[in-house]
Amino acid sequence: MIAVATPALSDRAERVGAAAYWELLVNLTKREVRGRYSQSFFGFGWAIIQPLATMAVFTFVFSRVGNMSGDGVPYSIFAYAGLVPWFFFLNSVNSGTMSLITYRNIVTKTYFPREIIPFAQVCSRLLDFFAAFAMFAGLMVYDQIGLTRWAWMAPVAFVLLILFTTGVTLITSSVNVFYRDVSPVVQIALQLWLYVTPVVYPLSRLKPQWRFWIVLNPLTGIVETFHSSLVYGRAPDWQVLGISAAFTVVVFAGAFILFKTLDRYFADVI
Amino acid sequence: MQTSSKSVVIRLDGVSKRYRAGRSRTVVDLIASKLRRGDDHVYSTSRGKVDANVWAMKDVSLDVTEGAGLGVIGSNGAGKTTLLKLISRVTWPSSGRVQVAGRVVSLIELGAGFHPELTGRENVYLGGGLFGLSRREIDRRFDEIVRFAEVETLIDTPMKRYSSGLYARLGFSVAIYSNPDIVLVDEVLAVGDAAFRRRALESLRRLISEGKTVLFISHDMWNVRRLCDRILWLDGGRVRAYGPAAEIAERYMSEVNLRALANQQNALQSHRGGTGEIRLTDVEILDGAGRPADRIVEGGPLAVRAGYEAAEAVPAPLFQIAIVDVDTGIVVATAVSSPTDVPALVNGHGVVECVFDAVPLRRRQFVLRLTITDSHQLVSYDVVTAGPRFAVVAAPNTRPGDDEDDDGLVALPYRFEHRVSSMGIR
Repeated sequence: MIAVATPALSDRAERVGAAAYWELLVNLTKREVRGRYSQSFFGFGWAIIQPLATMAVFTFVFSRVGNMSGDGVPYSIFAYAGLVPWFFFLNSVNSGTMSLITYRNIVTKTYFPREIIPFAQVCSRLLDFFAAFAMFAGLMVYDQIGLTRWAWMAPVAFVLLILFTTGVTLITSSVNVFYRDVSPVVQIALQLWLYVTPVVYPLSRLKPQWRFWIVLNPLTGIVETFHSSLVYGRAPDWQVLGISAAFTVVVFAGAFILFKTLDRYFADVI
Repeated sequence: MQTSSKSVVIRLDGVSKRYRAGRSRTVVDLIASKLRRGDDHVYSTSRGKVDANVWAMKDVSLDVTEGAGLGVIGSNGAGKTTLLKLISRVTWPSSGRVQVAGRVVSLIELGAGFHPELTGRENVYLGGGLFGLSRREIDRRFDEIVRFAEVETLIDTPMKRYSSGLYARLGFSVAIYSNPDIVLVDEVLAVGDAAFRRRALESLRRLISEGKTVLFISHDMWNVRRLCDRILWLDGGRVRAYGPAAEIAERYMSEVNLRALANQQNALQSHRGGTGEIRLTDVEILDGAGRPADRIVEGGPLAVRAGYEAAEAVPAPLFQIAIVDVDTGIVVATAVSSPTDVPALVNGHGVVECVFDAVPLRRRQFVLRLTITDSHQLVSYDVVTAGPRFAVVAAPNTRPGDDEDDDGLVALPYRFEHRVSSMGIR
């Protein structure tokens, strides 16, 4: 008999090292990306085509037909700078909502921190984001728009974007386990959300009474900061960004608490 | 055996687990249930009002010490898988407390986390992460994992090209090498070939000898007995018995036999084949004293008495009896009547009896398969695939657990001799 130091009895699941969960996150992300792009002809190209095609549509509708301008820059690059973070949010929430159901096989059979599943959904969309962002750099060069010192605000907006997206995904994915109605509701909400976020129009174009409500949307400050820091090269609207940051932190913290409260019932009802 | 010096690694304290019956909930159901506040029923269109609560586990208290091999047995729905899910934290108790010490690995389904599009290598890392291993730890064990699963040649092939046995083997291998303190095994060794099953059991036994704890769910009492020193018998979500393996196994088997005996009349009617000119009406197993019995003493006599009814005159039917091992389905012995044993033409009712003077079978469960055919064995008049069962039990003068390591189905008489020799067997 080999003497083994026995750990103490515990009510909680045994915590293994963060390294193991990191490994699981990396592998689930890999599995997600591989599953999405395997046996597709364009493969990763779809990550660029999606915002590019939407940019083309909005450029035609808003700037040719609707006579919207980009306030001193080509409307197309203005729209693209907003669409890249927007699609990151849209796609993450869309596939994240169903993710726990998709992975029910491992949720009902093994223990691991369940939040890794929605996290992996968001992480897999990061690759799409970077691919689309590389395209954005190309467009900046093409349109001969240089960066200013305010470009460092883009990473700040990026961090807020990830936090907010993850928070929303945690909420929709966990509640969807209990009520499948969540998924269609999310689909509709996301369609409307694009228009209450200044993605394809500048916030400055809104009437003041509208502006107040739109600013309460956390994505507003984030997308506006992408616009101002990269396309216009100027300081963000600190007030708008501050509201976004505050709401984002509240949403993420609330979402995480909700998720950890619900996750022990997942295996029973999924 | 249990000693006081070993510490408790799994403790259940008054644990109950309730599931809600009925279809999964939508917002409409939520509103409906809010309107009927406090009413714990669901409304089924076919069955009317039914209780919504299903108790998968009710008031179970249990201590398992380190280094134990614990067999978990019971009929379907007894709560065996629920117990494993509670210990592995996949699910949480409705009331009571579950405490566990150390890292738990549950094998409820082998390779559950694998993705068919990924290669075997990538899946080892994916599965290892699921069992709480970091990349470095998997790197270190990778060769062993692959060697144990014997998938060296296919390791860089997508797993969708793997056979189900191979899939399971890699799943088991990753779990076993993930350095668990407690291993939960749920009926997963049924897949895979005999050689792998043996190695898997061997590795579980090694874990126990290293002081790890293994909970082993299986319907195969033979494997349970070989691996476990204690058995937990669950029945309807409650602990029916918990104690030394030999004793509990004996009690369980005799109860299963009683239940089978009670269902014998049904058993004869179901699983029925044949053309029907002549049918068996009842079948009895008799012990040495000629009394109906469901337990036969090791090496003792056994008789099978079968009544038949022929709807028309049947020329020279042959009666066949096969003794089949319940766990493995292996036909251990057969007996066929010769044409002279019964009249050349049978009609109406009759009884045939087949006597085995000695039954040198191991202490296992057996079931009779009975057939009536024509004299050329071309037409089957009657086929009873699941006839009466019997268990072979120890002779009264042997102590229980005397022959725990005796494998096989048949007990052949043997003796060992020894002499000194300098050149082989000559």
